[in-house]
Amino acid sequence: MSEAAILEALRQHPFTHDIEEAWKEVLAEMARLQTYPPDALLLREGRAADAFFLIVDGLVAIEMFAPGRGALRLQTVGAGEVVGWSWVLPPHRWEFDARALAETTAVVLDAAALRAQMSQDHALAAWILSRLLAVIASRLKATRLQLLDLYALPERRMP
Amino acid sequence: MILPLTHPTAPTLERFLPVPYQVTGIRRETEDTVTFRMRPPGGRPPAFQPGQFNMLYLFGMGEVPISISGVHPRSGDLEHTVRAVGSVTRAMARLGKGNVVGVRGPFGRGWPMEEAKGHDVLIVAGGIGLAPLRPALQHILAHRSEYERVVLLYGARTPADLLYPAELERWRGRLDLQVLVTVDRGDEAWRGHIGVVTTLLPMAERLMDLRKAFILTCGPEIMMHVVARELENRRISPERIFLSLERNMKCAVGFCGHCQFGPAFICRDGPVFPLHRIRHLLEVREF
Repeated sequence: MSEAAILEALRQHPFTHDIEEAWKEVLAEMARLQTYPPDALLLREGRAADAFFLIVDGLVAIEMFAPGRGALRLQTVGAGEVVGWSWVLPPHRWEFDARALAETTAVVLDAAALRAQMSQDHALAAWILSRLLAVIASRLKATRLQLLDLYALPERRMP
Repeated sequence: MILPLTHPTAPTLERFLPVPYQVTGIRRETEDTVTFRMRPPGGRPPAFQPGQFNMLYLFGMGEVPISISGVHPRSGDLEHTVRAVGSVTRAMARLGKGNVVGVRGPFGRGWPMEEAKGHDVLIVAGGIGLAPLRPALQHILAHRSEYERVVLLYGARTPADLLYPAELERWRGRLDLQVLVTVDRGDEAWRGHIGVVTTLLPMAERLMDLRKAFILTCGPEIMMHVVARELENRRISPERIFLSLERNMKCAVGFCGHCQFGPAFICRDGPVFPLHRIRHLLEVREF
């Protein structure tokens, strides 16, 4: 896949669409555009967190394997969203699995190269981390709402 | 069958007298939820606005407010979807074809179907909240050219808790309607979204300009509260956001005060309200 296609994907993706063009070019140099067939694993719990996925198209499930219960799907992430932040935090190991539920295309950034770039360019680092914080906050909020059992009826009001 | 928006009818004696409707069909939607088809003695139910409700009286048990969830396409019979959570609704869930239910109504103000003409419409439903929104969607689909883009976001606990699964499949197959469904917990067969209904909003944003859309939402109040906050965070005018509230309606005509909500009576002034009229009350914990 050409760098021009990756650059265009970065221009369209909500995570990167409004960053400086020069930064997009830096990111494009460390990225590849990859398509995963349904059921393909994008990342696996315990393995090195060596990539950052910007989902361009498709649907990805965040899963955890539970002995005796199989893969438990916790949430899904679709086009315009991102997968994976363990690459930011030591020890840089994935905490969950991520599996394509449909054919999925992602811009896959090389995490080691991105970390090295961020250690050199603090403005870029601040920008990426602030965006990632917004993603993490929205996932935390969604998880809390899932725990609330949002669709339960307040039975005390029902005759 | 569906009336244009008008002012609620003034209370008269006949609005307090239940009409005996015969149950003509029952469809089990989920483990605890059923949809009744009912027919009045004359055979033709009264016209209603999407979003209005009826008082359903189970003789010897009691009366409950239930939103009209649609009109059966072939028979024209009225449909109500009931979740068995209390003594009356549990008894209703055990009714059979041929049983009789007392019906008063329709009551209240419904969804802004007239105002939404010529605009995009986003429908956000959670759990049994799809039931009061179903007539709005049926109305839009029956008058499709009068509305612009239409998106339905629907969330439920599990795939087994989704209402109207066959209808959802038909809606998904339409080219003039986008349907996005999510569940809190998927099963092995589930290949769709997992997460609360608000996680679908970014996808809806890519399909329409939410700031120009009419947004209709119904579900448990906590869900609508969260949806409203997410929409307002996106700078969407509260005048374009409509919620259907539920309280313990008794008289259904604004007399008894059981469903008083600040200065409003849910049964008479609602159950559908624009957010800007009630937001301050939603934030009062005692309500």
